[in-house]
This record gives sequence, C-alpha cells and structure tokens, in this order.
Amino acid sequence: MTATPTQQANTFNPSPEAGSAVDIVRVRKDFGAAVGVADVSLTIAKGEFVTLLGPSGCGKSTLLGMIAGFVTPTAGRIVVDGADITGLEPYRRDIGMVFQSYALFPHMNVRDNIAFGLKMRKLPAAQVEQEVARAIAMMKLDGFENRRVRQLSGGQQQRVALARAIVIRPKVLLLDEPLSALDKNLRAQMQVELSELHRKTGLTTIFVTHDQGEALSLSDRIVVMNKGSVQQVATPIELYRQPANGFVASFIGEINALPPGRCEVKDGIASLVLPGAGPLVFPAMPAAGFAPGRQVRAFLRPEHVRPAAPGEAGPNIVTGKVDAHIYQGSHTITRVVVEGIGLVETRVTGSDIVAGAPVGAPLALAFDLGEAVLLDASE
Amino acid sequence: MLAKRPFFITFLAPAVLTAVILAAAIFEVLQYSVREFIPGSLNVGGFTLANFAALNKPIYWWVLADTFFISLLTAIFSLLASYPVAYALVRAKRDWVRSALVSLSITPLFTGEIVRTFSWMLTLGTDGFINSILRKLGLIDMPIQLMYTRFGVVVALVQFSMPVMIILLATAIAHVDRDCEKAAANLGASPTAVFWRITLPLTVPGILSGIVVVFAWTMSAFSTPQLIGGGKILMISNLAYLQGFSVLNLPFAATLSLIALVCALGSLALMKGVTSRIERRLAVH
Repeated sequence: MTATPTQQANTFNPSPEAGSAVDIVRVRKDFGAAVGVADVSLTIAKGEFVTLLGPSGCGKSTLLGMIAGFVTPTAGRIVVDGADITGLEPYRRDIGMVFQSYALFPHMNVRDNIAFGLKMRKLPAAQVEQEVARAIAMMKLDGFENRRVRQLSGGQQQRVALARAIVIRPKVLLLDEPLSALDKNLRAQMQVELSELHRKTGLTTIFVTHDQGEALSLSDRIVVMNKGSVQQVATPIELYRQPANGFVASFIGEINALPPGRCEVKDGIASLVLPGAGPLVFPAMPAAGFAPGRQVRAFLRPEHVRPAAPGEAGPNIVTGKVDAHIYQGSHTITRVVVEGIGLVETRVTGSDIVAGAPVGAPLALAFDLGEAVLLDASE
Repeated sequence: MLAKRPFFITFLAPAVLTAVILAAAIFEVLQYSVREFIPGSLNVGGFTLANFAALNKPIYWWVLADTFFISLLTAIFSLLASYPVAYALVRAKRDWVRSALVSLSITPLFTGEIVRTFSWMLTLGTDGFINSILRKLGLIDMPIQLMYTRFGVVVALVQFSMPVMIILLATAIAHVDRDCEKAAANLGASPTAVFWRITLPLTVPGILSGIVVVFAWTMSAFSTPQLIGGGKILMISNLAYLQGFSVLNLPFAATLSLIALVCALGSLALMKGVTSRIERRLAVH
C-alpha cells in the first residue's frame, strides 16, 4: 500500500505548454538582522507536487507563509498564474492551505467548515451544497457532515482540513507539515491519500516537511533548504543519488562521509587516495566531480558498503572493528570503525551479521566506490 | 485520603471560617426580616410576615425593576466599551502600547469606589467638566442635567465595571487560535469577516461571563447610585440603606436585602442556564 506514492512520484514530466503555476523570484525575508529566507528563486509547473524540505528554522515555513500572504517579503516577487501577488492580501489570493494544527473552526460542524470558503466567495446556496457534497465524498467524510470537529479523530480532522482547502479550487495548494501530528501508521496511510488526492485533483501542491521519507515518497521535485537558502532542487531519485553538497548528502537518507582525499589517474585507472588509509579504486572512470589532482570527499550510502566475503581481497576492502549493531527488522545497520577513515555504516539485509560479527570483532568491508558521490573537499 | 494530603484541613480552615461567619450574618438578616418593627426603637419585636406584605407597593417593584434595568444596561455598555480595548490590548504589536493599555484599563481597579464616584460627580456636575466644555464650545447655553440621572449613574457604573470586563474579554481573545483566523483569511474572508465569523464567536464564552459578572456586580452597587443618583435614582441597596439608616426600620431593610440577594442569585442562575445553552450550541469549550 505504501508503495503507491513511490511508484508514481517520480514519473512526473511537466509539459512545457502547461506553463508555470508559481514563480518565486529572488524572494528574501529578513527578521531584523537575521535572514529568514535568502534570495530564493523557484519555478513550479502546473500540477507539480513540490516539497520544501529542511531542518526546523531553515526558512521553509517562512517561504510558505510568503506564498500564502501571511509574511511580507523584504524583497522579491511571487507570481501565481502569471499575476504578481507579492502585495496582495491573503484573502484575495485564491491559495488553499492546510495548517500544521489543521486550524479547523471549532464552532462549526464539518459541513460548515468545508463550506466556509465557498460562502466567502458568495456562491449560490445550491452550488455551495453541491461542491461541499463533492468534497465530502472525495475525502470519504460521508456521515460526518454534522459532527463537531472536536469529535473527530486526527485523521478525520486532517481530511476535513484538506476538503476545506480544495473545495475552493485554489490555484495552489499549500500543505504545512500536515502529517506531523499523526501517529506512524496513520501518517503512512495519509501519505497514500495525499498522493491519490493530488492525482485526482491535479492541483499544484507545495508541501512543507522536515521528514525526508515523506518528501521522497510524495514529491515530483524536492527543494532542500538550509539556513534560508536553497541547497538543491531535484527529483527524489536525483537528490538521493546525486546530492549537490555535503548538507544534502547527509540530510537525505543515511550516508558515510569519507575523509578528504586526492583524485588520481594511473594507467587509465581512477583512484581516490586517502591519506590515512591508502587508495580506493574506482571500477570505471567516475562521471561527476572527478578530476586528477582534485581534493574531494566521497560520500557512500550504507547499502553500497557490504561485509566482504571470507577470503575476498582487493583494493576496496578495508578492515575495521564492529562498534554497534542497530537491528531494524528487515535489515541491520552495522557501525564499523575503520582506521584512517572513521565510522562507516553498512546496511545488511536480515540479522545474520549480528551473531556473525559481535561488537568489538574485526570486520572486512567492501566499498562499492562506483556508487560514491564525489564533492569538492572545501565544501 | 486525608492522610495523603496532610495540610488539607489546615489550608481549608480560613475559607471554612469565612463561610461560616458569612452564613451566620445572612441568617441574622433572614432572622431580622421576620421581626416586628417598633418605631423609635432599634430593638425588634416578635415574629411577623408584615415586612414581606409591605413590599407589595408599586414604589418597591419600581426600584427592583430599575435595579435590573440599570444592571443590564451597565453590562451591555460595559461590554461594548471594553471589547475594542481588550482586543487592542491583546493584539497590540508593540510592547509599550500593550503596557499603556494595561495600566490605563486596570489601574482604575486600584482606586476606591468613592474616589472614582467623586471624580464622576466633578465631571458630570452642572459646572462640571462636560458642561464647561460644551458651554465653551457654544454648543449649549444652559447646563444639561447629568447628575442625578439614570444616564449619569449608568455612565459611572460602566466605567466602574470596565476593568473587570476588559480582563475577562482579554483572556478570551488571547485564547483565540490565530491559525483559525489565518485559515479564514486564506479561505477568502476579509479582516471584517474574520472578526465577525471567527474571532467574535470564539470569544463568546468570555463575553457571556463578562456580562454575568458585571450584571451581578452592578446589582449590588451602592455608593455610585447613592452619590450620583442622589436619592433620585434608587437601586435596591440604596433603598435598603434608606430604610435601615434613615427610617431606622431594620426589619424592613433586612427584608429588602434578602429580596436583593434572592433576585441576584435568581438572575445569575437564569443567566447561567442561558449562557451554557449558547456555549453548548457554539461548542467552543
């Protein structure tokens, strides 16, 4: 069930004639002397699901607030559907939003909550009723129309908040960490529902989260932010496989950062010379980031480090001491301290390694260096 | 249970003592109200229901009705005057504005009722502040009568009750979830619509308790109607005072006090019923 969002998330190809739904042009927000958002530019295509991802305080919520109109940018422009909305009041923007706390109106029932935006638009009563009924059916809220919002479970409240935001047919849908208040199982289910909702409505969606798992499974593209700046904009697969810098590499998933080393080519064989641990050899000439003589850092995912087979020998096999096993059910993360390299994590399916290599025992690891990401050592 | 709370009885003792003394005093009033009045003497005679029979005169019903009317007017105008102040107090962006509003609205609580009433007499009098200003401006030739009017009494009572009303309203306004207001704006509600459809309904519990508190408080007002009403505007406590200390008819004063108490408790119970029904309908609690 949880596979659904992953399958369809990475197949998005914005067609050029669709045009852009949101253009964020050099937007900046200063809080006194501190920078909240630093000159962010971003173009979001119609129908795209874009996630703003970063640690708390990275500026992602401030950026969302500026799109919704609750935060006034210090500089820059925000264009939605070709119209500059930078100075427009929030209530004239036609942008739907789901708040982290849902912000449902406690003095109204489910139906009145959902109808609120339509009534504000002064639609005829019959049309309001029809649209609300559609939204209720779409969010599977049938039978809850007359309930007080306080009588609803977290998941139901979430669906009311979504229904209330989409019923006005907004130009853009903003989701501010809407899943963070839910427990783990419900969160997985709501991810699927969000994904389905996006497919059904085709709404341009901007999703804010600090949870990289949510970002990877839901998004067409992810905008990684840190300290107010955009670090990288890429599809989930690109982001995971080709992080642009050390921050992105370590923020998305688990990754081993090897110490800085020098690129060398000898007899057509590319290698990375680590001062404390000798050379590691690339199976083929690396495509990105490699230049003879350049100082680089190699980043390697735990799934690209494996325990060496008994008697296996070669240039990319290093031996260290087991520091800890973190058993995760389907797999085990084993931490190994390697002389000259430091702490290396390996990801092994199942639990065999826990008994096979107790803590403190030596363990040989094979690095699949062809999968390594090379970044400039100065970063 | 008591063993787990060793200071329970010790801590409760002052409250119990106060309650017992109050109950004794009320019982004494009750006891006086069924005694015979002996003209020219402070001593009272035997058991009689004559005091209650004596209540059945239009003048007394009129005073009672007027007390209700003045209390209700005071509660309503106090609400209307206090809501904007409380709103500004909670929502002010600058700290100094907030502090200024807090000191302006709350300090009157710490000046005595007599001092405040006396200030109102200076303001409302024939040569008082308001009349002098209006005359200087040439808006009136003859001073307008503000003292000894229902209007003057209500104005002073409203000012007197505003600090309490502001505190109750400010608490309610501070509890409004700002995200709800943002969500409403996001859904297309103008600032005016946000206020009428979100902020105001969510502060109804504060509005209701403010009205109830001010109403009950004003029911027992004494010095303000005494000094500003000057005997022309009588509220029930002024009538009891008149009977007790001018006519020296203590039994009848006790009867009037008892009626005032019953009316106050009765109207509180009635209002409580109404307000809890409204709150249930709004379901903001």
